[in-house]
Amino acid sequence: MLWVETVINGILLGALFALFGIGLAFAFGIMRIVNAAHGEMIVLSAYVAAMLLQGIHVNAFVMIVPVAAIMFVLGYVLQAVILNRVLGNDPIPALMVTFGLSIILRNLMLEFFGADPRSINAGPIQLLGINVFGISIGVLPLLVLAIVVVLLVVFRRFIRVSGLGRTLRATADDFQIVQIFGVNYRRMYCIAMGIAVALSSVAGLMIAMRTTYSPFTGVDRLLLAFEVVIIGGLGSLWWMLLGGFILGIAELVSLQINPNAGLLYAHLVFFVVLMVMPSGLSNWRRVA
Amino acid sequence: MPLLEVTDLKSYYGDFQALFGITLSVAESQTIAIIGANGAGKTTFLNSVIGLNSEKSGAILFDGEDITHVRADRISRRGIAMVPEGRRLFPSLTVEENLLAGTTTRRSGLWTLERVFALFPALPAMRDRLAMRLSGGEQQMVAVGRALLANPRLLLCDEISLGLAPKIVDQIYTCFDQIRATGISIILVEQDIARARVSADHVYCFLEGRISLQGASGSLDLRDISRAYFGT
Repeated sequence: MLWVETVINGILLGALFALFGIGLAFAFGIMRIVNAAHGEMIVLSAYVAAMLLQGIHVNAFVMIVPVAAIMFVLGYVLQAVILNRVLGNDPIPALMVTFGLSIILRNLMLEFFGADPRSINAGPIQLLGINVFGISIGVLPLLVLAIVVVLLVVFRRFIRVSGLGRTLRATADDFQIVQIFGVNYRRMYCIAMGIAVALSSVAGLMIAMRTTYSPFTGVDRLLLAFEVVIIGGLGSLWWMLLGGFILGIAELVSLQINPNAGLLYAHLVFFVVLMVMPSGLSNWRRVA
Repeated sequence: MPLLEVTDLKSYYGDFQALFGITLSVAESQTIAIIGANGAGKTTFLNSVIGLNSEKSGAILFDGEDITHVRADRISRRGIAMVPEGRRLFPSLTVEENLLAGTTTRRSGLWTLERVFALFPALPAMRDRLAMRLSGGEQQMVAVGRALLANPRLLLCDEISLGLAPKIVDQIYTCFDQIRATGISIILVEQDIARARVSADHVYCFLEGRISLQGASGSLDLRDISRAYFGT
């Protein structure tokens, strides 16, 4: 029973990892920019939520909406002020700039918030559990999973059905041609980066309710995001969700075996998947 | 006043100069054709007019306003649309989505999705297919429809017949009569001289970035055209 519980909880945790990866992949899919500051933005969202919670005493889940809105604006501004200046065929400048930004963000957070690991208190819900056939599942992780699934369904519908989603996809296909149909592609890039950061930040806020975060956790978050994208295969939402599940299960199972292992086994699983299926799960038949 | 008035347009790609002082104009409801060999500067000219090529000097007036250094997305909102060379459909979008991509200029006018489907009756049946799954001729119809849905006052068409069977080209050009009847102005870039003469009121021949010959379609002698075309 312990193992079943561990697997189920791993899935619930993995849903959050998946959101890290989906935000990263979305930004890359639209404008071919790898945002190396993605992890720091995710951690920043937890600090933003904590600050808001000091002023306004509500349940932490209520903060999802304002935090997502604030992080959308930050992503938008990041693209408008910095990344739109380094666009081009060469992906290196954007990578360098965001790498530098990640260092700056990390140290700013260290300066303002200190190095202590913190956690966001989700209130009494944190201790609630329900019993399903003798397996105890936390209400908090279930709620988190429900929010992730709703987010993904809404996100997918937005991209597939709405006019703005269509224009974003068209911009990803051919940023030059959309211009002759009245689209300012730089603005589309800003919106895309805003969505990418906001999406992952919701996950950053929710993961801060179950584990700790500090200015240095951004690196782990980014690594997980990369692993989700690589395991799942770029551009496939549901495969990336599965990739997140695999990493989440690997992490919790390994913690059962060796409480000091941390993310080691998750990274090992990633390594094995990469060796066996170099193109990710969604393309496993294709050779890289 | 002409709808489009280009004066002494020079365009560059870095150190390379592609256009050496092009002067031409298009009146309201007029169709002009630009012919010329590969590398004569025809596509560069269209890209310069619509703003995709920003390295340029000279003056481009559209409806009396200077658009020489206006961004492409703003130019298209003022009423210039283009069927680009090689169609350039959006590969991950369906036929219908590709057509609707034209509406992002947010211009109202005659052209709606229904009307484009009426113009190209082959398209409604494949509206949910990915655009790249279509045949070349069908793709070209989508590219024309997309530009029409932008409801432009001036339509730029870059080598619509390129790589298509003559029969398909005939079909598309037949539709052009209906498009012209709506009062739109058109610039046709063509390699097919005969078709250019039939379709356009006025023909310009480009040679190495300059206009080597121009005149009303009926007045031009085929031998003069061939001399201007090849520069012999």
